Order: sequence, then structure tokens, then C-alpha cells
Amino acid sequence: MLYRLSSAWARIEIGLAAVMAASVTGLILLNVVTRAAGNAIYWVDEAAIYAMVWMTFLAASAALHFRSSVAVTVVGELSGAAVKRFLGRLVDVAVLAFALAMVWVCWQWFMPHELARAGWDIKAFQGNTFNFIYAEPTNTIGLPKVWVWLVMPVFALGATLHATANLFHPAPAPDPARPNEAIE
Amino acid sequence: MTPVLFAVLLFGSVPIALVLALTALWYIWDSGNTVLYLSYAQQMFSGVENYGLLAIPLFILTGELMNEGGMTQRLVRVARVFVGGFRGGLAYINLLANMFMAAIIGSAASQIAVMSRAMVPAMTREGYDPGFAAATTAAGGLLAPVIPPSMLFVIYGVLAQLPIGDLFIAGILPGLVLAMTFFVVVTLIGMTRDLPQGDWMTWPEIRIALFAALPAFLIPLAIVGGILFGIATPTESAAVASLIAFVIGWLIYREIRPRDLGALFVRTATNSSLVIFMIAAANVFGWVVVYEEVPQRLAALISTITADPFTFLLIVNLCLLVVGMLIDGIAALILVTPILLPIAMNTYQIDPFQFGVVISLNLVLGLLTPPVGVGLYIASAMSGVRPFTIFRALWPFLLAVALVLVALSYWPALSTALI
Repeated sequence: MLYRLSSAWARIEIGLAAVMAASVTGLILLNVVTRAAGNAIYWVDEAAIYAMVWMTFLAASAALHFRSSVAVTVVGELSGAAVKRFLGRLVDVAVLAFALAMVWVCWQWFMPHELARAGWDIKAFQGNTFNFIYAEPTNTIGLPKVWVWLVMPVFALGATLHATANLFHPAPAPDPARPNEAIE
Repeated sequence: MTPVLFAVLLFGSVPIALVLALTALWYIWDSGNTVLYLSYAQQMFSGVENYGLLAIPLFILTGELMNEGGMTQRLVRVARVFVGGFRGGLAYINLLANMFMAAIIGSAASQIAVMSRAMVPAMTREGYDPGFAAATTAAGGLLAPVIPPSMLFVIYGVLAQLPIGDLFIAGILPGLVLAMTFFVVVTLIGMTRDLPQGDWMTWPEIRIALFAALPAFLIPLAIVGGILFGIATPTESAAVASLIAFVIGWLIYREIRPRDLGALFVRTATNSSLVIFMIAAANVFGWVVVYEEVPQRLAALISTITADPFTFLLIVNLCLLVVGMLIDGIAALILVTPILLPIAMNTYQIDPFQFGVVISLNLVLGLLTPPVGVGLYIASAMSGVRPFTIFRALWPFLLAVALVLVALSYWPALSTALI
């Protein structure tokens, strides 16, 4: 059940990431065209950068589900099946530790509990905490930056979901015919 | 304790990005500097909030479009026009086509995948030894990250805060030198064994081949020309290149359909995220490097051994060859640049462009060396030749790359003359 949820969420993440990748391409092309026409749109670069960052963290969370991140696998490849299984479990635990830590640091950053205690009043919240996350503007888009930063908690929660699901769903024995995909 | 944790996680096959992130989390706790936790997630985000990095998904997209768009075959045919008639003609065609591809694709692994599928069966059919065929193709793939565009240079440029366009230009001469060296290697191999005789094309064939490939040559022209003449940023030229690749593959060669774009963007997003996420994690890991003064300590150690920049570069080359054997090239670049670049620049007054070219070529060599030579496995999977057989035929090329590395380390002008 948990694993199915994790799979479904990973598919959504990948889908959104692909949309973001398409947006990056479209926005930069728009920039080229408008600049060539001597009429550049000032917010396009910043929007493209945020689309890329969203793409990155959404797909990075999905990569945890698919266990497809880049890793140094030499020890596992040179040792027997038992060691490989042990390493697989070690990785699952490490991923979960990372995901939970991300949830915690995002909580410390966004401080939703403090915001609620201040009655969702941002000025009161800032007075209490000296945390100005909700007041920070974006440079050109005219949106509070917190909406863009929101990808970090989304990433943290997604990673936690995938890591928990993977912990109860160990990776099958790797297929020696298919070595790791490279990225470079 | 921090280095121990780092090593255990790294060699415990934890994803490299998470190794960096977890090490940083632990280090903050260990050093008692816990106020850093408050800005941890923000630091990760800001590490990739960078205009230069936009080139990565765009170059990956162009590579994917090249892969689907039927351009490879046409570039190979053009290469045949120029070098097809020599003895060992197909081996030269292979290298020349790899040069063309390198001016379009920025990543050795994807170029090796594309070219192995295209070239190895053709060479084997004409009577070449399969190991030699796959080795030539795999070596040709090493041109991808040196001849612009180059993903490694984009990443190095972002980490070193250098203009990426200038880095691309810095790669032109080294790329040509590397290609020439490979041609010499093939010629030398041809002297010791009997390579099949190629044949020259007839005039009508030449015309058809050149005409068919003309649109494909717009892509390197857009990328290199745009950057060289300062018309476009590397990011913009990458976007234009992907658009040209799509239009050519769709309307002229008719091998891509608009409905394939969804799958292409999925692959673009997943592959570029693997890279960019590592950079995000490296940004929090940077705290460890900075607060622990790793470069300063290492510099103090190395400067007791030598004061000569060339000797320093040789030592770096030797160390990185080992690093590249164990760690994927991009990950290794992300790891070592913040540590080694300050030493190279401040202690040895090495030009950062030269340093970038040297370490990028060095680390990409790891793609072709066991035990984790991913390029070797890709070439093997695409060509059906066993990795060990490829590696055995590969050593003359590896030796040639080593010589080029020494030359690049000795003569900074090779990298900096065109900038």
C-alpha cells in the first residue's frame, strides 16, 4: 500500500519535473526571441531558473524511489550477494535518515507552528521569531519567494515517503546485465 | 569522525548527493554550529539557483534529440567523405564523426552510447576486430566533454564562478589536440596490424552526403558560433540548438514526432536532476570544506612537496586518475573543484581555465577505466563486445590521453590561447 502510494507519487513527481524541463526550454527560447526582437522580458530568466530548481528537486525525490541516484558502487560490485544485500539496506536507512533530517530542517526554516501561534499574522510571526522567510520577495516575478522555496518541504516529504516505502520493500537483486546508467 | 562517516557512506554505495548532505548534517552537529541547520535547506536551494546551470537540461535535451533524430547516421556519412578512403577508413570515420558529435553533445557517456550503436556493428561488418571497433568509439566519446559544448565545463564554470562561454572556448584547442592524437594512434595501430581498406565516395555520393548533413551542422554552428561571437550565452545557444535539433529531426529527417517530446522531457528532467541535485548537496557540503579549511591544509601539505605548478598538476593528475576510477566524473568534479581550485590558483598561480580543462579531461577518463568505467559498460551494452575485450584494445588510446594531459598541464597556452 505504502509502496504503491510511493510509486504513484514518484510518477507525479516525474511528470511535473518533465513539465518543468519543457518550461525551462520554452522560457529560454522565449528569451532568445524577445531579446533578438529588442524587447526582452525581464522576468523570464528568473522564472526559468526556478523551473529548473523545481525540476531538480522533484526528480531527485523520484530518483530516491527508483533507487537511481548516482552512487559509488564499487564495493558492492566486488563483493558477494550477502554484502550487497547489507549495503542495500544500509542505503535505505541512510536515505530515510536524510529524508527525516530534511523534514526537520524545513520545519525549522518555515516554522509553521510559530506561524499558526501568531494567528497566521506574518508581521507578528516575524516579531516573535526574527524569521523573514514569508516576507522575502523574488527579484522580478513579483511573487513572495516562499512559494518558490516550497519545493524544499515538498522534496523532504516526498523523500520521506519514498524512503519509508523502500525500507519495507527491499531492492530486488540487481541484474548484472544492466550496469548503472551514467550521466555524463 | 566526519571523514570516517564520509568514507563509510561513500563506499557504502549511498547516493553521492546524500553522502554530501548527510556529512554536512553530521558536521554541523559535531562542530556545535547548529545555527546552520536553520539555513540548511535554503543553502541547498541557493546552490542551484544559477543561470549557468540552465544549460545542463538544455544540452541533455539536445543530446536526446540527436539520439532520436537520425542525425548520427548523416554525420557519419559526411565523415566518410573526408577520410573514408584510407586504410582503416572506418576507424578514421568513427573518430571524425565523434568530433562532429562532440560539437553537439556535451557528455561522454551519451556520446559513447549513440556512437557505439552506430559505429561498432558497421566496423565489425567490414572486418575490424570488435574490441578495436568498440575501443575506438569509446575513446572518441572522450572528445565530448572537451570540444564545446561540455556539461563538465558548465559544472566547473558554475563551481569556479568562471564564464562558461570562455571555458567552452578554452576546450577547443585541447579537443583538437586530443582528436589529432587519436588519429595518430589509429595510424600507428594500422602499421602493426592489417586494417581493412576503405573506399572513396563518388562525386554524386559526396554531394548527397554533404547535402543531407547540412542541416545537422547548423547545431554545432549555433552552439559554438553563438558563444564564440558573443551573440548568445551558452544557455541560450543550448536552447537554440535543442530547437534546431527538434525541427530538423521532425520536419527534415522526419524521425521525431512531436508526441515523442513527452518522453524526451522525462529523460531530460531525470538525467539533469541527477547532476544538479549533486550540486545542491555540494553546496551544503561546502560548509565542511570551508570551515575545516580543507584547501588551506592540503595546500600546506602539498607545497612542502613541490613549488612547481607543473609538478603540482602532475600530482593532481595522478590522484584524480585514481579518484576517477572510483567515482563518477561529474560527482568527482563537484567534489574536488572546491578543494583543489583554490590551491591551484592561490598557491601555484595556475590559470583556472587551464586547471578546469585538465581536471575535466582527467576525470572523464575514469569512464573508461575499471572497476566502475561506466563508459566501458555502455560501449559493451550497445555493441555486444565484452568490457574486458574493449579495455584490452583501449590502452593505446588511454596512453594517448595521458600524454595529452601532460601536454595540457605543461603548456597553459593550449587552453588559454583562444580566450
